[in-house]
Amino acid sequence: MAAQIVAVVIFIAMFVLIVLDEIQREFITLGCGLLTLVLVFGVCMRNMDAVWETLNLRSIFTMEFWRTVGTAEESTSGINWATIIFIAGMMVMVEGMARVGFFRWLCMRLAKLVHYKTIPIFISFMCMSFVLAMFIDSITVILFLAAVTVELAKLLKFNPVPMIISEVFCANLGGSATMCGDPPNIIIGTSFGYAFGDFVTNTGLIAFISLLFVIVYFYFAYRKDLATDAGKQIDLSKMPEPRSAITDKKGFIISTIIFICAIVLLVTHASTGLTVAFIGLFIAVVTLLTSGRHALRLLRKVDYKTLLFFIGLFVVVGGLEQTGILEIVAGAIEKISHGNSRLMIAIIIWVSAIASAFIDNIPFAATMIPVVRTLAESTPGMSLSTLAWALAMGTDIGGSATPIGASANVVGTSVAAKAGHPIEWGEYCKKAVPATVLVLLISTVLIFVRYL
Amino acid sequence: MEKQMIIAIGREYGSGGHEIGQKLAEKLQINFYDRNVLDRAAEERAVDASKLRKYEDKPRNLLLSRTVRGFSNSPEENVAHMEFDFLKGKAESGESFVIVGRCGEDILKEYEGLISIFILADMNQKIERIKQVRDLSDLGAESAIYRHDKKRKAYHNYYCQTKWGDSRTYDLTVNASRLGIDGTVEMLAEYIRFRMK
Repeated sequence: MAAQIVAVVIFIAMFVLIVLDEIQREFITLGCGLLTLVLVFGVCMRNMDAVWETLNLRSIFTMEFWRTVGTAEESTSGINWATIIFIAGMMVMVEGMARVGFFRWLCMRLAKLVHYKTIPIFISFMCMSFVLAMFIDSITVILFLAAVTVELAKLLKFNPVPMIISEVFCANLGGSATMCGDPPNIIIGTSFGYAFGDFVTNTGLIAFISLLFVIVYFYFAYRKDLATDAGKQIDLSKMPEPRSAITDKKGFIISTIIFICAIVLLVTHASTGLTVAFIGLFIAVVTLLTSGRHALRLLRKVDYKTLLFFIGLFVVVGGLEQTGILEIVAGAIEKISHGNSRLMIAIIIWVSAIASAFIDNIPFAATMIPVVRTLAESTPGMSLSTLAWALAMGTDIGGSATPIGASANVVGTSVAAKAGHPIEWGEYCKKAVPATVLVLLISTVLIFVRYL
Repeated sequence: MEKQMIIAIGREYGSGGHEIGQKLAEKLQINFYDRNVLDRAAEERAVDASKLRKYEDKPRNLLLSRTVRGFSNSPEENVAHMEFDFLKGKAESGESFVIVGRCGEDILKEYEGLISIFILADMNQKIERIKQVRDLSDLGAESAIYRHDKKRKAYHNYYCQTKWGDSRTYDLTVNASRLGIDGTVEMLAEYIRFRMK
């Protein structure tokens, strides 16, 4: 009982401190993780096995961690090293691509392709945001897309805010389509042993259908704001040449090849048996080897803070799991839904979405993994995968509703604000909340129709 | 080349610090920056400064904003940094100027030519001054002083490592009620001349 209370207090304190944003979040999770190890496992439980299970270091030294036959499931409790290694690897690759100007080139190329016309740029940037976010972290996607949007807005004299809000929304939606698109999906995928293809054919399908509705919605929501100067003649000679974005031609070609290889490896990882941890490490090593003298710079640019944040977070959630708190939460959901599958799915999607709209969706998803597992085991006829897709859509999409719901939203609105276009909550939510509700409704209906 | 001088003035509401800054700039024949910092920063970005004005001089809202990889989506924080960047740019260019507020004494502390001053005044004189300028009652003026000073303190203490109004933050802390506006300007000009030797 004492262990449970301490674990919950640490967990709540961690969330409050993350929300307050006064202390760097990696220090918060690492500090709370340390408290979990010492106070919960050491002082209250006196259980060294729980410490080792949560640290989960042994798993890295097993063959299954790197290559598996059949489903590649991470151990149930503690630090999800596969997620951390994969994210680190992708960070190295993305830094390599950014260094050579890949993303800026892509944005400029697309804008040129549509002859710098505002509405076509608006729609094509939404699609590009969706597609890129399927494979690359949404922060990077938005960082470049929003910067180019601001630049084009200045040249073409349109308001960049509608475009940035739409791009951010589509980046979050694209992230929900694949296993590697959004951190909650990587956590869900590695924890439950799902492959890239499993996500594409399930959450991916929902995301693609939703994208069509979202494009139509944003078009009607913003067409007046974007059409202001549409009739104006544009001096195309003043537009930046896409080629000028490339800083290193040879590096650009190599980065593009590595990116394509990463996609191929991810798409085929179920048949090759290579785990996401292996793919992440492989991609990072290849990127570093081909970067020559820039390798050290790339390594320095990796966002270690986020990786440390993940490590601490998994330990705190491990504390809740080891003390049985998450089983109690699962029991409560089961009780509220009276074992009704539809109600249970609806609760998972909508509660995850509402929570993710205000708090970081990564700790939420990590916390819900054991809850969902317990629910699937204890509810007759309830498939784990159905709950997993509901959790993925809820956490990935819910974050789109507010400016602080997901990292991409923060970065997108920050880029806009730095350029002199601050986006208030009201302005953001007015358009993003209906779009979020729309996608959540589509997700709920599709999950009901397809799986129940 | 003339030595660069950056006069950063912090002030209590109603103390006459703004007017002192203005007169000092005239006397020293250097540029004067106050609210116009935001106009200039907005101009550089080709946006309307009036849309940014409401976020000026405010700390970020802790519950409604987040920071990701150094990117904050707080309009208040972004507007503050727009102003800081503008001032740093001016300082970097070697320009001499007077800056009122905007955390000048803290964000420009690396510049050798910085002279930081905090202007305060007796409460009764501050009330009289505010009553004249804003057509308020005694009580209204007093509450406006508390409100504005509280806001300035929160803004300063959020963005700076030093404390607003604390004598350790500034080179000089002056009560403008003793010498009056013009007398204080004279005294400060003399002090600045000494410092610039």
